[in-house]
Amino acid sequence: MSDTTAQAATKSRPWRQRIDLPVVTAFGCIVILLAIGSLYSPNFLSPEYLLQQLKVGAFLGVIATGMMLVILLGQIDLSVPWTVTLGAMMASAAVSWGPAGEVFAIPFGVLCGIAIGLVNGIGVAYLRIPSMIITLAVNAVAQGLMVAYTGGFAPQDSASAAMKVLAAQSTFGVPHAVLVWVVVGALAVFMLTRTTFGRAVYGIGNKEVAAYLSGVPTQRVVMIAFALCGGLAAFGGVLLAGYAGKAAQSMGDAYLLPAIAAVVLGGTSILGGRGSYLGTVAGVILITLLQSILSVMQIAEFGRQIIYGVVIIGMLLLYGRSGKVSS
Amino acid sequence: MTETTPLFRLEGISKRYGGVRALENADLTVEAGRVHAILGENGAGKSTLIKVIAGVVQPDEGRMLLDGREISFRDPAAANAAGIVCIFQELSLIPDLSVADNIIASDPPTRFGMIDRRAQRRLAEDALARAGGVDIHPAALVKDLPLSRRQIIEIAKALARKPRLLILDEATSALTAADVKTVFEVLKRLRSEGIALLYISHRMHEIAELADDCTVFRNGRKIATYRAGTKSDNEVVEMMIGREYHHVFPSKPEPKPATGAPVLEVRNLGWAPRLNGVSLTARAGEVVGLGGLDGQGQRELLLALFGVLRGISGEVLIDGKPRRISSPRAAKDDDIGMALIPEDRKTEGLMLPMSVRDNLSFAAMSHLSKGGIIDPGAERRAIDEMIQLLAIKTDGTAVPAGSLSGGNQQKVVIAKWLMREPRIILLNDPTRGIDVGTKQEIYALLRRLADAGAAIVLYSTDYDELIGCCDKVLVMYDGAIKRTLTGAEITERALIASALNIDVAEAGPAPALA
Repeated sequence: MSDTTAQAATKSRPWRQRIDLPVVTAFGCIVILLAIGSLYSPNFLSPEYLLQQLKVGAFLGVIATGMMLVILLGQIDLSVPWTVTLGAMMASAAVSWGPAGEVFAIPFGVLCGIAIGLVNGIGVAYLRIPSMIITLAVNAVAQGLMVAYTGGFAPQDSASAAMKVLAAQSTFGVPHAVLVWVVVGALAVFMLTRTTFGRAVYGIGNKEVAAYLSGVPTQRVVMIAFALCGGLAAFGGVLLAGYAGKAAQSMGDAYLLPAIAAVVLGGTSILGGRGSYLGTVAGVILITLLQSILSVMQIAEFGRQIIYGVVIIGMLLLYGRSGKVSS
Repeated sequence: MTETTPLFRLEGISKRYGGVRALENADLTVEAGRVHAILGENGAGKSTLIKVIAGVVQPDEGRMLLDGREISFRDPAAANAAGIVCIFQELSLIPDLSVADNIIASDPPTRFGMIDRRAQRRLAEDALARAGGVDIHPAALVKDLPLSRRQIIEIAKALARKPRLLILDEATSALTAADVKTVFEVLKRLRSEGIALLYISHRMHEIAELADDCTVFRNGRKIATYRAGTKSDNEVVEMMIGREYHHVFPSKPEPKPATGAPVLEVRNLGWAPRLNGVSLTARAGEVVGLGGLDGQGQRELLLALFGVLRGISGEVLIDGKPRRISSPRAAKDDDIGMALIPEDRKTEGLMLPMSVRDNLSFAAMSHLSKGGIIDPGAERRAIDEMIQLLAIKTDGTAVPAGSLSGGNQQKVVIAKWLMREPRIILLNDPTRGIDVGTKQEIYALLRRLADAGAAIVLYSTDYDELIGCCDKVLVMYDGAIKRTLTGAEITERALIASALNIDVAEAGPAPALA
């Protein structure tokens, strides 16, 4: 990586400072969860089960990628639930328009999500509305639009063939959804580490004033990040619709907290400016496994919710004590 | 020396942060009714010493004696209770609260369990009067006051805690000469009242004026303690930096005849109500100083030039052509080539938690990338070049910028802009709170940049700096340029007189240069 210290450096950093503690912790927790799971059933360590988990996690992974961008800026996107649903419904709706709609279903769904994200982004970057407020409001609007569109019933449109191929099928046992996540993730890593946009995102998340005075178009960067987040959330919705065969009301509701939790459990600072995509990957897998194991253990829904929440709080407390940079 | 026990004594204090030893076996004796100055470069251990005394950090070894009795402080509140109060370099005021609320922030007077506003205000007024800030209204909001007034409030806040030992860490670095005078009178009165003062400053003439005893630190060790006035400035600086000390300021070139259009020309720039018709020119190779009291529009002028402020009237010409600069992004564009070294390096200049590498290349990204994709090789080369050029002391480029010393942080801020090879360099008080050695390097660098063809606009609150660095100085008063001093006219006397907007008869005729 370009991280390796330059020649001017006197000596390299000790390994402890190079490795991200939260990322290691998250991966450690994954191993522990798998060990616990294997006590219940040896199936937990089988390739089939692990691939199945990765496939389930891929949808969350795509959505969390966008959320991570926004959190790196020190913002939040609460419009994710209905952006996911909107992406799924709009893509499915396109299918009902005939052969052309069939072809454009995926891009159309994603574009609708980008439009939602742009509204968020313009509100945050240019109108200076706190992201927590505007994205919550936009979520309500998106919900209203979708309820109006469907009349409140489960939509009758079904997913396009391409959506089903991407989300539900496998090649040589590898689910396509996992491959899609790999591609999205690779692009995200490249964007965060090797592009000026990525640097700008970290810079703004750390100190927006300093980034602005360095001549970075901060408003544009913020707007684009929100648009990307909306687009990725909608894409996640498109994949979910492909997986289930069709869109459903409130299908995105289950993705808001997990997306935020995955990003933050992976070590991305909720205040922005710090975090790696590898951490988000670990966070997504961790959340997915936790959900799976809790359901396999047949713990009642209320119990699952409690354990789920406590684990997130516990991990955050753990990270909150490390990595503070003093001035 | 006196037979009586000193007010406060440190014996063999050591403190380490990780592998770095910040203090090594430090001794210090502070006596009541005397001003004890601590000298040393940044990173010499002064800040740590103060933090130990003020109870902010605990020493690893050694003991502290107050009135001959051994003590230790769990936290700053314990130190306060023992009569040790510290005014830190960074201001600790809350901008959205009133002056009185800030001064009596902890332990306000209460009446029936509620804050007694009238008593609080009276206490605040007393403290303000003792701190020389009688003109400050206790009900004013701190955020509405300029930096120099805030410093006075900071002192008042410390006095309200009834200190026996008052520590001032770079407390005058934000003050203008007139304010420093006020503060000094206050400090001298406090001394005569029997308060012990521990005074940290990088300004030698302040120490000469105020201190009774001096102690020099270098690399965490005490080098020497001596009575003020028994050592020459050169000897002192040598002790501080541990090397021969020649000229602080590089020599100025002979003024060249003006040819062609100036790189930067400003005509009648206004931003109501802070800027009223500012006109100036800066030519290639020229170091133009901005003088005057603090808060006379110098900061706004630099921000206006850099495209930060909205609603500006007047004209800005680059290379003789009128340009509209609407944002820092436009200002740094190569055909304008402007750079701004902002006032506060910690919040405006750097992203402290980010690596030295990311900070250095942040402003020059467009030069180090193609189609938005960074070229790591070009980036590494440019960073190495800058680290060498400015002799930035850093433990690799992957460490957070916040881990560097103040002087090296400022070098990073300057370096990140030099990477763009700017033609117009605006600097807002770049040497504030920086050690002598680094200052010297920055002065030499500015002159080198000017010689290489840059036009430099330097705002400084330090008159010595304006006198030593600048080819001409524009003295601002109330948002306008009141006087232009060139060459030999740039003297402390002329600077102060024009800063106060008064005429000094013996200063001679002063032809205003456009």
